[in-house]
Amino acid sequence: MKKFAYELFLLGLIGVVFAIAAILDPRFLSKNVQLELSSEIWELGLLTLGMTLVIITAGIDLSVGSAMGLCSVSLGLCMHANLPTWLCALACLVTGLTAGALNGSLVAFMKVHPLLVTLATYGMYRGFAEGLQSATTNAPVDASEGIKSLAAGTFPLVPLLFAALTVWTAILLGRTAAGRGLYAIGHNEEAARFSGIPIAKLKFWIYTYTGLLAGLAAISYSARRSATAEAGMVIELDVISAVVIGGTSIEGGRGRIAGTLLGVLLIHETRQFVDWYWQRSELTLIVIGTLLILAVLGHRFLFAQNPKTR
Amino acid sequence: MKYRREASLLILVAVLSLLATLFDGSFVRDNTLDILINSIPTMIISCGVMLVIITGEIDISVGSLLGLLAAILALLCSTVSPGLGIHPYLAIPIVLTIGTLIGLGTGCLVVYGRVPSIIATLGLLIALDGAQDWLMGGGDIKHFPQQLRNLGTGTKLPINLIFTILVVVATGLLCRKTALGRRIYAVGSNRSAARLAGISEAKIKLFVFALTGLLTAMAATLWVAKLGNVSTSTGAGLELKVVTCVVVGGIAIRGGRGRLLGVVLAVILITMIRTVLNFMDLGSEAVKWQRAIEGVMILVAVTSDHFSQRQQSGGSS
Repeated sequence: MKKFAYELFLLGLIGVVFAIAAILDPRFLSKNVQLELSSEIWELGLLTLGMTLVIITAGIDLSVGSAMGLCSVSLGLCMHANLPTWLCALACLVTGLTAGALNGSLVAFMKVHPLLVTLATYGMYRGFAEGLQSATTNAPVDASEGIKSLAAGTFPLVPLLFAALTVWTAILLGRTAAGRGLYAIGHNEEAARFSGIPIAKLKFWIYTYTGLLAGLAAISYSARRSATAEAGMVIELDVISAVVIGGTSIEGGRGRIAGTLLGVLLIHETRQFVDWYWQRSELTLIVIGTLLILAVLGHRFLFAQNPKTR
Repeated sequence: MKYRREASLLILVAVLSLLATLFDGSFVRDNTLDILINSIPTMIISCGVMLVIITGEIDISVGSLLGLLAAILALLCSTVSPGLGIHPYLAIPIVLTIGTLIGLGTGCLVVYGRVPSIIATLGLLIALDGAQDWLMGGGDIKHFPQQLRNLGTGTKLPINLIFTILVVVATGLLCRKTALGRRIYAVGSNRSAARLAGISEAKIKLFVFALTGLLTAMAATLWVAKLGNVSTSTGAGLELKVVTCVVVGGIAIRGGRGRLLGVVLAVILITMIRTVLNFMDLGSEAVKWQRAIEGVMILVAVTSDHFSQRQQSGGSS
C-alpha cells in the first residue's frame, strides 16, 4: 500500500470535503445534486488525461483551453452550415488534432521549451477562435440537435468515452514501453536519449493527443452550452492544478492516472460545493489556489522518500 | 555578435514604425509617447520577472497580484463608499508593503517550501484572483483623490513615465554594476558553482521575488492613477504578457542568460504591435484578427529566436 500512500491521502481529503458537506448541508451528497453538478467534470477530466502525460515528461501545455475555444468555433461554423453531425464532430476533432500537432512539432522537432510554445499558442489559438467567430457568425452558435443528442443526450456518451480513454491512458502509461519512455524523458532526458528512447516521437504524440482531447472536450462543452470562442476559458489552470494535486511532479518523471483522477474529483467536488453552498465563485478560487499549494507542500514533506533532494 | 537579439528587436520596431509612417506621416510624432505610456505596467513588472527568470524560477502570479493590489489601493483611497478615503501618500506605502510581503511569501514557498515556482505562483494566480473579486464585491471602484490621479495623468510632466525610466535604469545598474546583480546571474547559470562561491541561493531568490512584488505594487499604483477605475478583471492576463516580453527579450527560460535592454525593446515592440495594427486601418476585418496576428508574431519570435541560438552554440542546445 505504500506505493499508493499519496492516493490514499487524496482519498482522505475528498472524504473531508464530503464530510464538511454532510455537516453543512447533506443535500449536496444526494444523487440528484451530484448528477446535476457533474456535467462539467468530463471536460476537465478529458483534458487532464493528456496533461498528465505532458507533465510527466516535464513539459506543460498552457494552450489546452484556447485550443478548446478554437475547436468549439470550428464546430459552430460546421453546425451553422448545417453539415451532418458526424462531419461537424470530425471537423472539431481535426481542429484539436492540428492544434496539438503544432504544439507537438514545435516542442519535439524544433526543441523549443514547451512553456514558450504553449504560451504563444495560448494567445494564438484564442485569437484565431475570436477572429473566426467574429468574422463569420459573430455570435455563439446554438448546438444542433444532432450534437446535443450525441454529447448531451440521455445516452452518456461523454462519460463512457472518458472512462474508456482513462483506462487506455492508464494502460499506456503503466504497462507499455511508450509509457516507460515518457517517465524516462521526464526523469532524465539525456539518459533517455542515450537509452534509445524515441524522445521526439513520444513528445509529438502526447501534445497531439492533448489537442485531440481538447477537441472532444469542445464537443461536450458546445453540446451543453453553445459553440463559442469563450469555450475553455481559464480551464488550463484547473487542468494543471488537478494533475499536480494528483501527485504528478511538475519537474517530470513522476505521476499516475489514478492520482490525476482523484485530483480531478477533489477539485471538482471542492469547487462545486463551495459554489453551491456559498454561491460565491471568488471563494472557490481562493480555496482551489490554496489547495494546490498545500497539496504540493504536503507531497513534499509527507510523502517524498528523501525530501532533501529535488 | 553580442547584441544580435537587441539589434533584431530594434529592426522590428523600426520596420513597424516605418510601416505605420507610410500610412500616416505623423505616426511617430503622435504615438511614441502613447506607446511608451501604455507599456508602463508591463515594463515595470518585466524588470522584476526578468530577474526571477534569470535565477531559474518563474513568477506567473503578477497579473492577479497587480489586480489585488489595485483593488486594495482603490478601497483605501476611493472617496466614495466602500472606499475609506485615506490620503494616497499614506495608502501607497501600505500597498507597496503588502506587495513586497506577498512577493516575499512567494519566495518563501519556493525557497523553504520547495514548491516549484511555476506551481506556487499558479496557486497564487488563482487564489489572489479570488481575493481580488472578494474584496471588490463585484462592482467597479472609481473616484480617486486628485493627488493620486496626478501620478498618472494631470500634470504636464509624465511622472509615471519618468518613474518607469528610473526603475529601468536602476534595474540595469543592478544587473550590470553590482555584486548582487552578478550573484543573480550566477545562481541561474550554475547553482552548484554559485553555492561553492559562497552565494546564498535562498537569499538571492527571496530578494528577486520580493522585488517583483514591490515592482508589481508600483505598477498597480500607476495603473490606478492612470485609469482611475479598478474592476474585477484588472490585471487579468498580464502575467502572460510579461513572461512573453521577457522571453522575446532574450532572457533564457532556464535562467542565467539575457539582458535588460532586450526586454525593454520587447515590451515596446509588443505594445506597439496593437497600436500599429489599429493605426494601419486594415479594415474592420483585420481588427477581429488582431489577437491572432499578435499570437502568430509571438510564436514566430519565440521559435526563430530558438533557431538562431542553436546555430550560435553549434547546434548543441
